[in-house]
Amino acid sequence: MTATRRLPGARVVALVAALAVLVGVAVVSVGIGAHAIAPAEVVRALLDHDGSSDHVVVRDIRVPRAFLAVGAGAALAVAGVLVQVLSRNPLAEPGVLGVTAGAGFAITVGSALGATASAAGELVLAVLGAVVAAVLVYSVGRRSPLRLVLTGVALSSVLAGVSLGLRLVLPDVFDEYRFWSVGSLAGREQSPTTLPLLAIALAVAGALLLSRQLNAVALGDTVAHTLGANVARVRITTLVLTTVLAGAATAVAGPILFVGLIVPHLARRMAGGSVPWLVVYATVLGPVLLLLADIGSRVLLPTGEVPVAIVTAFLGGPVLIWAVRRYAAAEL
Amino acid sequence: MSALVLRRGPVSVRVERRTLVLVAAMAVVILGLGFLGLSYGATWANPAKVFAALTGSGGGSGVVIREWRLPRVLACLVFGAALGVAGAIFQNVTRNPMGSPDVIGLDAGAYTGALVAITLLSGTSAQLTTASVLGGVLAAAAVYLLSSGGGLSGLRLVVIGIAVNAILTAVNSWIVLRAELEVAIAAVGWSAGSLNGIDWDDVRIPFAVLAVLLVLLVLRSHAVHQDALGREVAVTTGVGVDRLRLWLVLIGVGCTATVTAVAGPIAFIALAAPQIGRRLARAPGVPLLPAALTGAVLLQGADLLAQVLLAPVALPVGVVSTAIGGCYLIWLLTKEVRRA
Amino acid sequence: MSIARTPRLAAALAFTLVAAVGCGSAENTATGQTGAAESATRVFTADNGDITIPVSPQRVVATGYAVPALLEADAPLVGISSWKRGEPLMSAEDLKKYQELTKVAGESAAETNYEAIAQVEPDLIVIGVPKPVLADIDLKRLETIAPVVAIGPSLPSAWRELSRKQADAAGALSEFDSVKAQYEEKAKGLKDKYASVLPTLKLGHVGAYGEVAKGNFQREFNGSWGTNVAQDMGATYYGQVKVKGGGSKDVSEYPSIEELTAAFSEATAITYSVAADGKVPAPVQYVMDSPLWKELPAVKAGKTFPLRYTEAATYRSAMKALDAADEAFAPLLAK
Repeated sequence: MTATRRLPGARVVALVAALAVLVGVAVVSVGIGAHAIAPAEVVRALLDHDGSSDHVVVRDIRVPRAFLAVGAGAALAVAGVLVQVLSRNPLAEPGVLGVTAGAGFAITVGSALGATASAAGELVLAVLGAVVAAVLVYSVGRRSPLRLVLTGVALSSVLAGVSLGLRLVLPDVFDEYRFWSVGSLAGREQSPTTLPLLAIALAVAGALLLSRQLNAVALGDTVAHTLGANVARVRITTLVLTTVLAGAATAVAGPILFVGLIVPHLARRMAGGSVPWLVVYATVLGPVLLLLADIGSRVLLPTGEVPVAIVTAFLGGPVLIWAVRRYAAAEL
Repeated sequence: MSALVLRRGPVSVRVERRTLVLVAAMAVVILGLGFLGLSYGATWANPAKVFAALTGSGGGSGVVIREWRLPRVLACLVFGAALGVAGAIFQNVTRNPMGSPDVIGLDAGAYTGALVAITLLSGTSAQLTTASVLGGVLAAAAVYLLSSGGGLSGLRLVVIGIAVNAILTAVNSWIVLRAELEVAIAAVGWSAGSLNGIDWDDVRIPFAVLAVLLVLLVLRSHAVHQDALGREVAVTTGVGVDRLRLWLVLIGVGCTATVTAVAGPIAFIALAAPQIGRRLARAPGVPLLPAALTGAVLLQGADLLAQVLLAPVALPVGVVSTAIGGCYLIWLLTKEVRRA
Repeated sequence: MSIARTPRLAAALAFTLVAAVGCGSAENTATGQTGAAESATRVFTADNGDITIPVSPQRVVATGYAVPALLEADAPLVGISSWKRGEPLMSAEDLKKYQELTKVAGESAAETNYEAIAQVEPDLIVIGVPKPVLADIDLKRLETIAPVVAIGPSLPSAWRELSRKQADAAGALSEFDSVKAQYEEKAKGLKDKYASVLPTLKLGHVGAYGEVAKGNFQREFNGSWGTNVAQDMGATYYGQVKVKGGGSKDVSEYPSIEELTAAFSEATAITYSVAADGKVPAPVQYVMDSPLWKELPAVKAGKTFPLRYTEAATYRSAMKALDAADEAFAPLLAK
C-alpha cells in the first residue's frame, strides 16, 4: 500500500460520500426497469401511493429488488473481506472458493427433494451447503493460497457438473432449476426474504464486532496471541459468519461471484489495512457494486435482462486479472 | 530402489522395477476393460466372438464390434491417456496437484466455440469440431498472454485462467439463456461430453494429431523429468526451462483441445488421473506414463458405467467423469483430514 | 440368443449397407435398391433431404416428437425414445403401448443408443427432433441401419402438418386421418357452441411453455402452444410479438413482469396454461401472485380461464385439450 498517512477524518468523509453514492445509485436503480420512471415519480410512489401501475411497479417490484441488492451486496462483500483477511489471500472470496456453489447446490437438491417448504428451510440448507463446501475446500487446499483457490474452482466445477447430470437424468425434477443456477435479482420480490436479510444484518453486525480481533489474527498467530486474541475461536467465528453471509446471499439471489473479490480491494484503497474499517466500507460499497451491476443487467440489452451474476463475472474477471498481476508477485 | 537397465545396441534405458510392474498391471487392466467394452452392448458378445471380430471374421456382430464398439473403446483409451498426460503436464508446470487444463478456461473456451457454431452457424459436426478447437485454443492463448511476464508456473497463470474461465462461463450462460429452447437443449447436450456414436471417421484425425503430440512429448521426456525435479536442477542439467514449459503447455493444450473437439468437454480425468497414477507409481514429480495409463483406465471405466447405469439409455460420459471428480475431491479430503 | 440373431442381423446390415449406397444422399434419386428383401419404395422429403423409404414399413423406430404422433397413428413401432413430457397427454392405451415398447434412446439426442436401435432391426427411423438438435445425433451411423427421416417441429402450431408427415412416412396415414377427422368434427361442434361468446372476446394468454426466467412471464399470441387449439374453437388472441425471432419466437415472447399491465390492459379475458392435472405451474403462479395481476381489467371482471393440455402435439391429445377448454369456458355460456 502507499505510504501516505490517512487522517482518521478522511476515512469518515469518504464513508459519508460512499453512503451518498449508495443512496443515489439506489434511487436510480429503482427508476430503471422495463421502462424508465423519473426519480420524482419514484419518490411520489413511495410517499403518495395512488395505485397506478407505475406506482405498484415501484413499490412492490423494484424497491424490494433494491433491498435485495443491498442485502446480498453487503453480505458478499463482507464475506469477501473476512475470507481474504483470514486466509491472507487477496484472491479469495466465497464465490471463487466454491462456497456459494455449495450453498446453491444444497438449495437445488433440497428443493427438488421437497425439503424446503419455507424460507427458513431454504436458508438452513444454504448455510449447510456453504459450510460443507467451506470445510471441504479449506481442508484440501489450505496448504497454499493457490491450492485453496484451485480446490474451490474444482469444487464449483464438480457441483456444476453434477447439477447438469441431475438435469439430464431427471429432467422433470430438475429442469426448472436451469435458470436458478445463474444468480439473478429478478423475480424474487414475491419470495419471503425477511429471514435471510435479517440473518445478513445480524452477521454483518457480528463481523463488525469481531473485526478488531480479526485485525490481530491477520498479523499472524503469534502476534495475535500476544495481543490477547483467541485465535482458534476467532477463526471458527469468522468461518461461521462467512458461511452464514454467503449462504444467505445465495439463498436470496442465487450464486453470484466476484463481489466479494472486487469490493475488498476497493475498500482497501480507502480504508488501508484496518479490518473494522474494511468491514464498514464493504457494507457500503458491496451494495453499490451490486446495485450498479443490477442496473447494468437491466440496461445492457434492448429487450430482456442479463442475469446479474453474468454482469459481475464480466466485471470481476478483469479485476481478478488486474489483481493477480498487481499483487501476486509481491504477496504470494 | 531396484531398477532394470534394458539395452539394445547403443540405446539403453533405465527403468524402475516398480514402474515396470505398474505398467504391466495397468496394461492388463486396460486390456480387460477394453475387452469388456467390446463385449458390452445391446447384445453381449462373448470373448470368442470378440476375438473372431478382431481377426476379421465374425459376421454381423463382428461388424458391430469392429465398426462401432472398437472405435469407441480405442477412443476411450487414447483420449483418456491424452487427458491424463495433459493433466500431468499442467500439474508439473504449475507445480500444483490441483492444476488441470479444465481450470484455465480451455473447456469453457471450447464450449463457447461450440455455442457459436450451434447458434450462429448451422451446427454441423465439422463446424462444431473446428469451432471448439478454435475456442479452446484462443482461450488458452488469452490466458497465456495475460499471464505473461510472471512465468508459466504457479499462481498467475492459474488464477488468470480462473478469471478467463469465469468470464467465458458467463458468456456461455448468456448465449444459452438467450437461445431458442431447442438450440439450448442441443448445446447443453454437447456440453456434457459424450463418446456415443463415435465412428472410425471421427477418430482418424484426432488419433493422428495425438500421436504427433505424444511423440513430441516422448522426445523431450528426459527433459520433462528433469524439470519435474525442480527448476534449479533442470537448469543445471542444461534444460531450457522456459522454452520447455511453453512447449509442454502447447502439447497439453493440443491434447485437451483435440479430445474436446471430438467428444465435448470431459471433466476431471485430467485432474484426477495424474495424482492417482503418481501414488500408484510412488514416483517423484508427476510422471507422465502412469498418468496416461490411469487416464485410459478412468475414461474407459467411466464410459462403461455411462452405458450400463441407465441401459439401454446411454448417459453422457462427462456426467460420470464429473462424479469421479467429486469422489476424487472427497478422497483428497479424507487423506488431508487423516494427515492432520 | 445372439447366435440365432446373427444371421438376421448380418442380413439386415448387409441389406441396409447396400441400401445406404443408394439412399441417404441429398440427391433426388428414385432408383430402387437391390437387396435381399425386396420392398416398394418412394422418395420422401424430410428435414434431412429427400430420402428413399419403404412404402409400407413394418418396423419403425421413432424418437422425439414423433413418438406420440406415431403411437396414436398405430404405426408399427418396434423401438422409441423415452419421452417423459408426452406421458401426461397420452391416452391410457397409448400410454400402455409406450411403456411396453423397447426404449432405444433417452430424452436428449446425445443419449441415443445406436446398438439398441440396430438390435430391433428397423426398416425406417423417424427422428422428431428440431433441426439444431440433429447435430447431436450421428445420422450417418443411423443411416447404415435403416433409412432416416428427420421431421422436427418449427412453429408450435405446426404439429398438425408435422404429425401427419411423420405418420405418412411410417405408412400409417389411414388411422391418422380418422383421428384427425374426429378432432375436426369436435372442434367444429365446439366452435358452434361458443359462437356467440368466444369470438367477441379480446383474449390474452399467459403461458408456461419452455423456460420462463424469473421475473418474466410468457405471453402467447395466435399460433402458439397455449393458443392454437383454443383458436380452433373460435378464440382469437390479439396482438403481436414485439421482436420476431423465428420459430416459436414469432408467436410468443417473455416480457418482464413489469410489463404485465401494458401487455394485458386491453384484454377482456385472459387464459392461462395449467398442467395436465390442473395444477398451476410456477411461472403462471408468479404472474397471478403479482400485485399487477389484480389490477388487470379482465381479472377484475373475473374472466380468467385455465387451459389444460396446452402442450398437445397430436390430434388425440388435442381433443383432450378441446374438452378441457370446453370445461373452462363453460361459465361464459352460463351467463
